[in-house]
Amino acid sequence: MALAHTRRLNKELAEIHAGTPVGINLVNADTFEKWLFTIEVMGTSEYEAKKFLLMFRFDNTYPISAPAVQFVVDDTHKAPVHPHVYSNGHICASILGREGWSPVLTVIAVCITIQSMLASCKKKEPPLDNDRYVPRAPENPKKVSISLMVSPLLA
Amino acid sequence: MSEPWVPTVDDLRVKMCYICREEERYDVPAQAKTKWTHPCRCTLIAHESCLLHWIQSSQENQTRIERAFKCPQCGADYEIESDNPLMLRLLNKLNKVLTSTGKVATLVGMGTTIFTFATCIYLMCTSYGAWAVREFLGQEMFDLILTEDPTNWPWHAYLNLPLIPLSLILSRTTLWRSTVSPIVPLFLAWPTTLPVREKRLDPQAWLRIQRAAPPVHPLPSLMSWPPAPIVATIFLPLVQNVYRNLFSRFHHWVLNSEPSSELHTPIFPWRLEIRFGQDAEDAANEEAREENRANERQNREDDGNQDPVAAAERFQRISSASVGRYIGGALLVPRISNFMGSLLFRLSKHSDLLRKFLAIRPPLKDKLDGFSTGEVGTVSDLGQAVKAAFRVLIGGTRTWTEADPVWWRNSVGLGIFVVVKDCVSLLHLYLTKREIQTRRVKNKSFKGIDIRELDLILPPPMTLF
Repeated sequence: MALAHTRRLNKELAEIHAGTPVGINLVNADTFEKWLFTIEVMGTSEYEAKKFLLMFRFDNTYPISAPAVQFVVDDTHKAPVHPHVYSNGHICASILGREGWSPVLTVIAVCITIQSMLASCKKKEPPLDNDRYVPRAPENPKKVSISLMVSPLLA
Repeated sequence: MSEPWVPTVDDLRVKMCYICREEERYDVPAQAKTKWTHPCRCTLIAHESCLLHWIQSSQENQTRIERAFKCPQCGADYEIESDNPLMLRLLNKLNKVLTSTGKVATLVGMGTTIFTFATCIYLMCTSYGAWAVREFLGQEMFDLILTEDPTNWPWHAYLNLPLIPLSLILSRTTLWRSTVSPIVPLFLAWPTTLPVREKRLDPQAWLRIQRAAPPVHPLPSLMSWPPAPIVATIFLPLVQNVYRNLFSRFHHWVLNSEPSSELHTPIFPWRLEIRFGQDAEDAANEEAREENRANERQNREDDGNQDPVAAAERFQRISSASVGRYIGGALLVPRISNFMGSLLFRLSKHSDLLRKFLAIRPPLKDKLDGFSTGEVGTVSDLGQAVKAAFRVLIGGTRTWTEADPVWWRNSVGLGIFVVVKDCVSLLHLYLTKREIQTRRVKNKSFKGIDIRELDLILPPPMTLF
């Protein structure tokens, strides 16, 4: 069963090649470790005419455990300013956590969720604890400690 | 046909597992025959093996454990049929009760610790130590060695006694498992102690009693029965190691597992989840690194590891780990050994052999009062003094050698208790493993679902309309 995650990702890739929802486009899926998508919010919203780069990273426990998902932040890309998106690209969404993830979800389902999370944003502002979180957060969002995640409650 | 026709998972044209997303068409036989199941009320279906893997990993995840047996989409309960005998259910219940009692103990303990100063802790440890000594050595010995009145205590009692609870707790961690036995500290310094009661006689008289080798127990030797405390202290870790080795072999034989499955048992069986607010940046960084390591370990465990023995062990570790339970269990050791000792004492009334084995003797009271202190005079024989010192070293003071050896039957009793306890938890582990191995997900028909939503091989019969 070691190859279970590659077989599942292969299936998902075939579905993605057959067509993706509007505003979601595959950029790169050369390996089964890392996929890149562009996300664009359609219609009128705070993020009109902006494209964001979304990175998925998989380990061999996928789909039993969630992929590591974050916005790419580099010289050419920025994370959206959003109450649930830290300036380092980490996303605070229950479906990406240990509690909310389930194998029913797919890569595209995650993309759609994040797209609609952006679309429903009323006010462009970073998370309250952004300054505290970003310098301490590890590079991989799946490795964030619990105490860092509950920090808004303590602050 | 009075009942409307209800299709099942076998009537689908294309089956797609919601976990691995493999598809199987009804007209293309699968290379490997796998069992499909429709476990809930919605249209999700899955390979039974995939679903069991998902359930198992949810059960090992503290945040998901409540929903481990529910469909992530419709929330319907999965019905699992497995070998789940009454015995296993009772043991699981017991485990839960013990854990929640442990949690209460943790809360109470936290409260007291916060409002108690170091001196209070010291006093608590000391009085616990005295209590433990009384439980373990018996009332008679306690009255001779310590007495209820702390002013009689020898100076080292103030160091020794508070260390007893600490060493009991430490001995439960794997760190000390092979080196220190829980009862060693209980009688380590005592046998060679000048008994309080004898000390109250004048020192000359005490020396005379020591030298006057009584005819009942001439010279305590290494071979005497019960073993001299010093000998027992040396041999106990040995016996313990041999036992652990044998039991671990028995454990793997029962579970039919490789000894490697308990490789990464943490030193402290629970993960300390109580965190205090910290303001130093360094502390946070250190914490993040630590969490990284913990996550890596978790990943390794998640790594498609479907070995039922390992899963049962992890499941049990999760469900029975609590600080209160561990510390409480450790501190109860003297009480348990006292209880087992008196049980053995009661049993020994019916068996000569057992009485001999436990070396039960009448209370010392009558004998001590009868000692005459005269006759010996002021003999300044150096050889005699050396002999007396040697006797004390090997066998302990006369008091120790001649008193009813409560400590001996308590040690034996504790040993029996440990063996029984190990066997019960092994049985629990074995039943848990068997339960995991025999799990089957109950397959249900598509009753209650609009048939038009389903892609069926054959169209539904017209009798519906």
